[in-house]
Amino acid sequence: MRAVFTMQLVARLTKDVIETYQICNPKFKYSEELNPKWFLTSPSVGVLNDGHDNVNSDLILTVNFVLINLETRRRYIVKNVLGHGTFGQVAKCWVPETSSFVAVKIIKNQPAYYQQALVEVSVLTTLKKEYDPEDEHHIVRIYDYFVYQHHLCICFELLDTNLYELIKINHFRGLSLSIIQLFSKQILRGLTLLKDAGIIHCDLKPENILLCTSVKPAEIKIIDFGSACMEDWTVYSYIQSRYYRSPEVLLGYQHPFDMNFSSLNLDHLIRYTTAIDMWSFGCIVAELFLGLPLFPGASEFDLLRRMVEILGGQPPDYVLKEAKNTSKFFKCVGRIHNIGNSEVCGRSAYQVLTEEEYEARELKKPLIGKEYFNHKNLEAIVTCYPYRKNLPKEDIIKESQIRLSLIDFLRGLVEFDPAKRWSPFQASKHPFVTGEPFTRPYRPPPETPHLLVARNIKVDHHPGGGHWFAAGLSPNVSKRNRVTFHNSPQFPMVPYGHANCYSSMGSLSSYNDNSGLGSSYGSYGDSSSIFACYSPVGPSVMTVHMQSGASMLGGSPNARWRIMRYSHGNGVGMSPSAKNFALLHLGTSPSQFTPPSSYGQGSVGSPGHYGGPTSAARNSCQGSPLRQVTDGNISNQAERNSQVVDGLPSRIQSNSSSVNWTQQQGGIGMATSYSIVQNIPKSIGLGSSVQLQYITGATQDKSEASMPLPGPGYWDPNYSDELLLQEDGSDESHVSAEFDRGMQIGSADPSVRIGRFNHASSTASSNLSRILDFYFVCADLIQLMLRTLDILVLCPQILTSCCTAQNSPSLSRQQNVQRFNHRRSAGVQDREQNHMKVHVPPSFSSRSPHSSGNSSFSNDMPWVTSARY
Amino acid sequence: MENSTQESHLRSDNAVTYESPYPLYAMALSSTPAVTHLNHQRIALGSFIEDYANRVHIISFDPESLTLTTHPSLSFDHPYPPTKLMFQPHRKSPFSSSSDLLASSGDYLRLWEVGHSSIELISVLDNSKTSEFSAPLTSFDWNDVEPNRIGTSSIDTTCTIWDIEKGVVETQLIAHDKEVYDIAWGEARVFGSVSADGSVRIFDLRDKEHSTIIYESPQPDTPLLRLAWNKQDLRYMATTLMDSNKVVILDIRSPTMPVAELDRHGASVNAIAWAPQSCKHICSAGDDTHALIWELPTVAGTNGIGPLSMYSASSEINQLQWSAAHPDWIAIAFSNKMQLLKV
Repeated sequence: MRAVFTMQLVARLTKDVIETYQICNPKFKYSEELNPKWFLTSPSVGVLNDGHDNVNSDLILTVNFVLINLETRRRYIVKNVLGHGTFGQVAKCWVPETSSFVAVKIIKNQPAYYQQALVEVSVLTTLKKEYDPEDEHHIVRIYDYFVYQHHLCICFELLDTNLYELIKINHFRGLSLSIIQLFSKQILRGLTLLKDAGIIHCDLKPENILLCTSVKPAEIKIIDFGSACMEDWTVYSYIQSRYYRSPEVLLGYQHPFDMNFSSLNLDHLIRYTTAIDMWSFGCIVAELFLGLPLFPGASEFDLLRRMVEILGGQPPDYVLKEAKNTSKFFKCVGRIHNIGNSEVCGRSAYQVLTEEEYEARELKKPLIGKEYFNHKNLEAIVTCYPYRKNLPKEDIIKESQIRLSLIDFLRGLVEFDPAKRWSPFQASKHPFVTGEPFTRPYRPPPETPHLLVARNIKVDHHPGGGHWFAAGLSPNVSKRNRVTFHNSPQFPMVPYGHANCYSSMGSLSSYNDNSGLGSSYGSYGDSSSIFACYSPVGPSVMTVHMQSGASMLGGSPNARWRIMRYSHGNGVGMSPSAKNFALLHLGTSPSQFTPPSSYGQGSVGSPGHYGGPTSAARNSCQGSPLRQVTDGNISNQAERNSQVVDGLPSRIQSNSSSVNWTQQQGGIGMATSYSIVQNIPKSIGLGSSVQLQYITGATQDKSEASMPLPGPGYWDPNYSDELLLQEDGSDESHVSAEFDRGMQIGSADPSVRIGRFNHASSTASSNLSRILDFYFVCADLIQLMLRTLDILVLCPQILTSCCTAQNSPSLSRQQNVQRFNHRRSAGVQDREQNHMKVHVPPSFSSRSPHSSGNSSFSNDMPWVTSARY
Repeated sequence: MENSTQESHLRSDNAVTYESPYPLYAMALSSTPAVTHLNHQRIALGSFIEDYANRVHIISFDPESLTLTTHPSLSFDHPYPPTKLMFQPHRKSPFSSSSDLLASSGDYLRLWEVGHSSIELISVLDNSKTSEFSAPLTSFDWNDVEPNRIGTSSIDTTCTIWDIEKGVVETQLIAHDKEVYDIAWGEARVFGSVSADGSVRIFDLRDKEHSTIIYESPQPDTPLLRLAWNKQDLRYMATTLMDSNKVVILDIRSPTMPVAELDRHGASVNAIAWAPQSCKHICSAGDDTHALIWELPTVAGTNGIGPLSMYSASSEINQLQWSAAHPDWIAIAFSNKMQLLKV
């Protein structure tokens, strides 16, 4: 009998119990691997990605699962999951290196989510580095991003409860006006920054505003830039969570200066501005005060109905006239020719449908939600909202004054007319925010209009964030502009921002290098071909891309990685959303995006096209040159769609900076906006001439850069710079007609279609720029369609025809569709999904003698740090 | 009867000592006086022998005569040293049954019926599914509100809640990131646990998806070994850290910040026990051979709390129990001795 007196027995039967047992019984064994796994991901059955992913393409996480940034070797130890959504999961992770916790967003292993998440990376990196280096604008900080087991992981600072939770903790009673003021000031600081950067958040809501964990009282941050976009690159029409959706988004408002493609029945072109975030902000402020959403619309019709009822009035006629969904909600009561000046007479030409009328039109009853407020208009709702109990009379008087100020404040935010809606800067000077006494209705200082030139120059001086923000320009110009910013790697003498250009190429290609997304590629191959027929211009444009894309691909993946990581990359570079990369954006949303050039390729999904990163374009030579072209595009598309798309701008750039051209023009004009604009049509012209050459037998391997190509003036006698700046309706109709024809032909024979395009492009250089615009537009539309089921529903015949034409498995396409539909419908579920559960063992709180009730949230806060949600 | 009354070696009005043939670790005091002798309290003692065969035996204590009685028939073999022994809490009536229920933890959770002159193994509660050997249980706690409920803590990171009447697992929770070292019930459905991951977590069986971290050891992953929940005032818990002379007092309303740290032990604290009938007193014992009784100040956050009273044993104290049936008495175990101390 051996006795042990030497060591703490409590340790020998806890920490060292295995050793103790082994002493007692040498046969005893136990190892950690036998521990039950603590799955944080549900379902936890590994079916995809070699068993690493579940059926939803989510990485299966367990407690102490380690995510590694293979580049920096930094380790992130998963401790629990903070939330999940359609994009993937958010895990709370311990970083041993820094001894701190971070929130890591682990994106689903699907190209579409991956690409969308890259937008978030680039937006946040740019904001952080270029606009808010001191972290003063209440935007969530991004710390790191990397790919691990084919999942993009984005590391953020760890934050606390969101404002919806806060309201919930407060039992859906409004917060105090001083807190609302504090929050408003901070949100406005964030929105001011976003406006300066030309970024639209697109999903502002209480769930996306989080309290900080820091000691600073009531500091908040704006999170979730996963739906964000650039102001001039507003791709999706179905954005914003319903309660916070602005009327112009709801109506599908299209700016008048955009081209009208109604003749194509594809007028889903939506142009909205940062003003949509201001609407959401107004809704949030109201909700913070009321504890309930101001416009809890059960359907879009219900939403609009509530807006009209609570605010009085309706969207201005100029919006209704241009918006694509107007007829869904309004009837025209004015005479058509009066539309436009009817407002002058004080009466709108439109009238909201009644429920009965809506039902008659849509053949279904509109969903109408419950009424939460006893009063119908904003003033009464705010004024009559119950005061907190036991408030002294003088405080009631004081608060009633602030409430008047709040009403005035809200009026400027939930303003139907996006043009009249206050900017963040204007709103931040409101007495409600500044705390000044409210004496009379606030008249905001005029918002200094951002001059195109001024902004342009500003952009130029930000080589790091540079072309991204070319997007800040107003849409019609910027679309040209962004092309200019595509500096070709082959011609690095272009003064600004090439580093970004590199890095974007680099990062995107590295994505492809690193991600064996395998099976999912097939599906976007399919989807890309589905809509191919929409874009008559596509093939030529894409060909050009592909070629320069291919030329970019030469570098080793590592080199590209390095570029991405250490160049001023900013993640901007990384950004598919890099605005100026209009095409890039398209290309990078594989399942959403339809590369027009993938036209006619039944072989899209075939593994043969998934060769090494640099080989795709070249390996795919089969049959006719045209076929090569398209094949190349597709394989590029499948393999690394981003480069393909990248290719265009850089290719164009390189052409325009080719010797001939440079001599003619005396250098590439980046210094002035004028010359920037000037360049574009020329380069487009070049692009199309490249196309011509290509079709006529150029081999795929041939470097386009080596071809001396004439400028647009060469074959466009009518060319003039002024033409470019003109907003001419006649051209527009001409082009649309052209496209119309292109469409029809397009679905028949590619070569004919291309000839048509060629014709169009040589007609007038301004037309060419239009065409390029239209290309963007088409791409927009395509994305849009894939993003929204409702649109798909509108064009079943298109789908069908595409489907049959392409021989593409319809199944995968449908999956795509469903996926996005799901994503969108998730907006509704967000509330549920995003909740961080606050777990207070009831017995404890009830026993707690020091608990001062639940009116003050700070008391409840400790419980918010609940271990697992 | 083969029972024999053993006069302790060291006997005074304030302390009674029992010497065991082997080193002692686990120890349990019956919560009600022994069935047969109204005032007698049963004490279960578990050996710590570095062998598969270990031993548990029952003695009884008469606080009036200050005598300890051994019952040679009331003992049994136990595989491995028991990590914890516990009598069933709060039997409704001492006369309702002629026997006590005793539970032991080690390789499995076992239930024993301690009768007048014999002990029978009632059940072996085994939840292991796969391997030849199950993960050792480090501790368990018997729910005194729902006496059919026992929660065990295991090095496999889980806590298992048993319905011992049905002999089935009510639930098994992966409670921690690492080995779980102790578990304590707060109320019928709420328990806390401590772990090698350095955290104290509270679980509510009504919401098994979530737990609340009440405390984390200042150096990450410093194991927490013992946990005691103040049954008189459920706001308070006490825990001990590995190789630390501190007793950390926690207020579950203010997570992460301990309300007090009792740091007057000269060496590692091995055991803690709240007073059964006062919400302010706690006893701790450790390698410095001392057992210290502390009175917590009413004002939280006071530093430099000194012990109310101190007892010195002749060697490192490994175990400590505060008698619920006779709150004047505290039992400690050191080397091969069990000692009852009058408070």
